[in-house]
Amino acid sequence: MSDSKELSRRDFIKVTTGIVGGAIGLALGLPSISYLIDPALREGGKEAWIPIGRLENMEIGKPYQFSFTRVQVNGWERTSSSFGGYALRNSEDPNDLLILNSRCTHLACTVNWSEQAGAYLCPCHDAKFSPTGEVLDGPPPRPLDSFAEHRLTEDGVIEIFFKAG
Amino acid sequence: MDDKSKKQINNRYEQELNKGEFFWPDSIFKDVIVSLGIFVLVLLLATFVGVAPEPKADPSDSTYIPRPEWYFLFLFKFLALYGQIPLLGKIEWLATVLIPGIAIGILTLLPLIEKSPQRHYSKRALPLSIMAIMLVGIVLLTLTSEVPTVSEDGSTLLGLLQALAGLAIPGAGMIVLLLMSYVFKSSARLMAWTAGLVALSMILISGTVLAFAPERAAEDTEVATTIVDQIFAGQDLYSIHCVECHGDDGKVEVIEGVEGLEGEKITPINSRDVLYTVTDSAMVEVIAYGRPNAGMPPFGKAYGAELSKSEIDYIVVFMRYMWDDRFEVPQEALKPLFPPLAKGEVPSYDVHIQPIVKRYCVSCHRAGKENNNYLMTSYEEILTTGDNVDYNIIAGDEASYFLQVIQETPIMNPEKPDEELIGVMPPSRALKPNVVGALVRWIMNGMPRTAEQAAGLFVPPAPEATPTP
Amino acid sequence: MWKKVYEWMDERLGLNEIYTSLLDRPEPKGNWWNTLGSASLFLFLLQGLTGIFLTVYYTPSPDHAYDSIQYIMEGVAYGWLIRGIHHWGATLMVIVVFVHMLRVFVTASFKYPRELTWLIGIGLLLATLGMGFTGYLLPWNQRAYWATTVGTQIAGTVPFIGEFILKALRGGPDLSALTLQRFFSAHIWMLPAVLAGFIGVHLYLIIRHGESHWPKRED
Repeated sequence: MSDSKELSRRDFIKVTTGIVGGAIGLALGLPSISYLIDPALREGGKEAWIPIGRLENMEIGKPYQFSFTRVQVNGWERTSSSFGGYALRNSEDPNDLLILNSRCTHLACTVNWSEQAGAYLCPCHDAKFSPTGEVLDGPPPRPLDSFAEHRLTEDGVIEIFFKAG
Repeated sequence: MDDKSKKQINNRYEQELNKGEFFWPDSIFKDVIVSLGIFVLVLLLATFVGVAPEPKADPSDSTYIPRPEWYFLFLFKFLALYGQIPLLGKIEWLATVLIPGIAIGILTLLPLIEKSPQRHYSKRALPLSIMAIMLVGIVLLTLTSEVPTVSEDGSTLLGLLQALAGLAIPGAGMIVLLLMSYVFKSSARLMAWTAGLVALSMILISGTVLAFAPERAAEDTEVATTIVDQIFAGQDLYSIHCVECHGDDGKVEVIEGVEGLEGEKITPINSRDVLYTVTDSAMVEVIAYGRPNAGMPPFGKAYGAELSKSEIDYIVVFMRYMWDDRFEVPQEALKPLFPPLAKGEVPSYDVHIQPIVKRYCVSCHRAGKENNNYLMTSYEEILTTGDNVDYNIIAGDEASYFLQVIQETPIMNPEKPDEELIGVMPPSRALKPNVVGALVRWIMNGMPRTAEQAAGLFVPPAPEATPTP
Repeated sequence: MWKKVYEWMDERLGLNEIYTSLLDRPEPKGNWWNTLGSASLFLFLLQGLTGIFLTVYYTPSPDHAYDSIQYIMEGVAYGWLIRGIHHWGATLMVIVVFVHMLRVFVTASFKYPRELTWLIGIGLLLATLGMGFTGYLLPWNQRAYWATTVGTQIAGTVPFIGEFILKALRGGPDLSALTLQRFFSAHIWMLPAVLAGFIGVHLYLIIRHGESHWPKRED
């Protein structure tokens, strides 16, 4: 190797080789990373108003069970997932309504209304929720989730605002 | 090889090493430059040429003409030409197994076959000549692979020429070269000239073949790649094949106006009863096989009808996204059938009328259907076909039959006044007012074809009278 | 600091020896035609890398293969690029490997002492073509399906054992899910393993005998 400060041919070749190698690595690497993590960056499902039942069928003070299915496109596969919950009317006022998601806040099992216990029971870890969704017993960290936004259509159907994800 | 020549070779190599270079960095530098060039080429090809979309595999579609990957095309063509040889051509395994097997065998065992230590090209006339002929042959076979061996008029001339250039001349050339080398001990120069002549004649004949080859119409199969494209493709196919019985929105419960199925009760296919309970694959089967006992004909190629597997899939996608309330329709799929018309604007066939006709009319008004011979698949057909063509579409005439029937006024038979000559159209459901409006405006303004022609007929709405102060 | 780390590593890995025996080798004066071998290696690595990335989304089943590739092309960021590189890389690899073979043939580099290098090289050429053939089916589109139908049918014309070869290739008498699965397996496991092994031996032989020099009139 020469001692002069000028770049020797040998060094020039080494540097060029390194740069070219790095450029190829970058040109391939960056898109690849984006390609690999792409699904993690996707937005969840779109929101929608979902009809859950006619208001007249819901008795005051008694949880009314409903369920619905949404289809999500995951990659090339269409996955239909079911959701469910309970609507509880507190008074004659059609807007005085508590709509709970029946997914247990502990580990996502589905809770069931038990007339006997007067509570929602989770079959997995014996959690117990009050009719208004408060935790009475068991491991869940917080009350049952509720669908805060709901509306009454002209035909007397209650619809909830649903956003998957 | 004896030890003496081995030693000679090794000494010779030492000499070359002494005046040589170093693997790193000299050789690697060149390697890296070439690799970079190749990488850039691949990137450019991937970006600007891409991978052409192809329809999904459809085992039932036997009309598809198979083509191998391009680097196997020469073998493919070789087989096709070989099959033309009388008698021998019938023994297929000679061409599929024996000849390629011998070629690969010779190639593999080359170091054992060509044993002389000589490396310079001037001392290797035979192997180089044979390889040159092989190479030219492979390239030419690849290039002519699309040329049929039998022309449409039944002439086999092109096939003969191809067999000459692809089989006979190279085969004979190689035999001559072998003879020259082993029997006549010809000079390298003479052999090189012979090989060149053989190659040249092959190139000239193949060039002639290519020049006179019938041009093959590029078959472009449309492939819908995105969900939105698939919905549109499905909608178009649905409009052509299904609307006649099921209506444009799938609501029909009693079929009207369809020969042989009049009054037939069917389940509305846009209902939850159907969409929630029939899986995609079951739907595909229903469309492909039909329900012959219930009156629905088959539509799939597997059962002798028109639709490919991909096309049936598109129809199912369309039905799901447009009718199944569990699916979220992409916004782009909801664009109106045709751009809304401004006041005074004249619709054109290309922009407005074609989508309307495709959606509501073509299902019946195409070849092979009961439609008074009135076809509507193109601009010309719409204006010039049909039993009542003289009265059907008259520019600027509101009494045109066409305009009457779409506005729920049947045309009565002049000879028997209580019999309908043409019923209302479409038979099952009246068109929406904006659709009727567009059709009326189009005919009243002389049926312009292109958007430019229509723009020329644009009548600006009269400015509203401004009250003078 | 770095010097110490290097020395520690060198003591255990023998980096200096690797450097002198692998990289710091004298060679005959090179020619641009001599780069085709390393270009093939580069393409092999490129194909390997993009191929591995493709398997992240690709599903080798007749129900999903087509849709999963559709998804790679339309749904995933840069999926079109990864598949495009793999698609065109395959084409270029066949060309480069073939031209490399022609170069070796023309310069008679397969002669003593490099006969085995040539033999392995032919194995590499055939394995590359095998990769092309098996990879062609994987998108499960019309071209792929019918080309493979014909391609495997050709293998079926072998006298006496043709029927057996045909069934072994297809995993049954017809082109089916089994065919797709075994072509996939051959494409991502068996043939690459063969290729990698052959490449290793090929490279070892090249280092052992050195690159052949460009023949002169006296050779």
